[in-house]
Amino acid sequence: MHIKYKLILPLVFLLSGIMLYPFIFSLWLSLQDYRLTRINDVQFVGFENFGFIATDQSFLNAMGNTISFVASAVIIELIFGLSLALLIQKLLIFRGFVRSILLAPMFITPIAVGLMFRFLLNSEIGIIPFYLLRFGVSLDWFGPELALFSIVLIDVWQWTPFMLLMFLAGLEALPKTPFEAARVDGAGRWLTFSSITLPMLRPVIVVALIIRALDAFKVFEYVFAITRGGPGNSTETIMYYIYQTGFRFFRMGEAAAASILLIIFILVFVILIVYLSRPKVIK
Amino acid sequence: MIVSFENRLSRFLGTTAIFIAIILVLFPFLWIFLESIKPPSLGGRPDIWRFEPSWENWHEIVFNSNVPLNILNSFFIALITVVISLICGAPAAYAFSRFRGFQGARYSILAAEMMPPAILILPLFLLLYKLELIDSRVGVITAHLTFVVPVVAWFLIGFFDEVPKDLEDQAMIDGYTRFQAFYKVILPAVRPGLAAAGIFGFVLSWNDLFYSLLLTGAESRTLPVAIAGFWTFRGIELGKMAVAILIAVIPVLILSYSIQKHLIRGIGGSGVKY
Repeated sequence: MHIKYKLILPLVFLLSGIMLYPFIFSLWLSLQDYRLTRINDVQFVGFENFGFIATDQSFLNAMGNTISFVASAVIIELIFGLSLALLIQKLLIFRGFVRSILLAPMFITPIAVGLMFRFLLNSEIGIIPFYLLRFGVSLDWFGPELALFSIVLIDVWQWTPFMLLMFLAGLEALPKTPFEAARVDGAGRWLTFSSITLPMLRPVIVVALIIRALDAFKVFEYVFAITRGGPGNSTETIMYYIYQTGFRFFRMGEAAAASILLIIFILVFVILIVYLSRPKVIK
Repeated sequence: MIVSFENRLSRFLGTTAIFIAIILVLFPFLWIFLESIKPPSLGGRPDIWRFEPSWENWHEIVFNSNVPLNILNSFFIALITVVISLICGAPAAYAFSRFRGFQGARYSILAAEMMPPAILILPLFLLLYKLELIDSRVGVITAHLTFVVPVVAWFLIGFFDEVPKDLEDQAMIDGYTRFQAFYKVILPAVRPGLAAAGIFGFVLSWNDLFYSLLLTGAESRTLPVAIAGFWTFRGIELGKMAVAILIAVIPVLILSYSIQKHLIRGIGGSGVKY
């Protein structure tokens, strides 16, 4: 056997055991009526689970919540991350220091972030509502209208640093010549940004968007720490829905079907983004 | 002159914006630290800023709670996960970087990295349940490997790509076999990459809640699950939760700063060429 196959053998072995096999198991699971409460009475039901899930109001609601969550969080993070990266790049002093501080949130465990903000924004004991009230602003951050938005804000706090990290590296790697040429030609700030910086950053932006969006689809900790899907089901995300179906209602078959629908959705999403963002040929 | 004024104004606005961002980032950390040293009787009072610092919360957590056990569990699980990931990931990443015909394999690593945990948790839970490995460290390590291994392998491809091929060619001319060249020449050359990938994988495992929540019990509970457990208590428990959060957060921040420079290359994994 060629050495190259020997080198990858341990990895192939490991991933087949812990990912491929569970994945196939999951496909099988989605076709069964598999309940944790009746583990010895498992029945093949074909695509019944998919039918149930696809028409389940709370699955569709969770999917809708997740999509609005992902879209708003990722777009806000993109704008903030890019602006901060451009500003930091212009800093003359303390650049490394500022970068180190601003990157901190992305490294800490999301459950801690969720719990910190749960208390910071709590309408009875939270500091932020307490001081906002002194200015006459009374907001119920985790009430029915604002809860999903508050969770978006928490995600923005924790993950804008990721965008910042990507864009700082992207900006650093840009060649200097086009910018010098633009300055010689007297191009203004905005023109330089929109016709040089932005197009040249495109690949980095696309990669950052995809990584961040895929990660945001997995949002679970903030919901678990703060709202548990409520009020009503206004913050129930798809991960939380699968967690509930599988481990609160013990319906493993339906949960597996939901997770497979999720993976199909994500696949379509990635293909769409890659397709839409391919460089256009200039004639 | 107008240009210079405009320049100065935009610089001022930019600095202000950065300053606001720094305050927004630091404020929660400052607040959680203050909560951790508030006397428990004042816990959760937003209007109190001046108080006699008390280490009662810290004392309680360190000597009278399960948190030390949770720390030990988290540390042990993360460490073993990383070691296995490096042992399996490094040779494979090297092969992906050096040999033809692995384009598809690279993408399957990426696909594995993107696999949502929701799809793996159900089968993993059932399998571990049948093996009677629920509430065991082995079970959690198995689950953590599913997201740490692909990340570590992906991370390392980028580092191997940067090692010049001459290095192992020379070693093989000197009489090393391909494997010896990899083991004795290339691996030492990417030591910083191994360290960075290992630390990144450690942090990912240390921070995980989802798998640990469903696969651990009293014996194997990890720190994030323990932190989530404080949420049912109110007011007076806030101080203890603050301590547990700080214990979870501080080591990770220190570790992460040590690998900041390598992160980009790692995440890009040679897939992104600027």
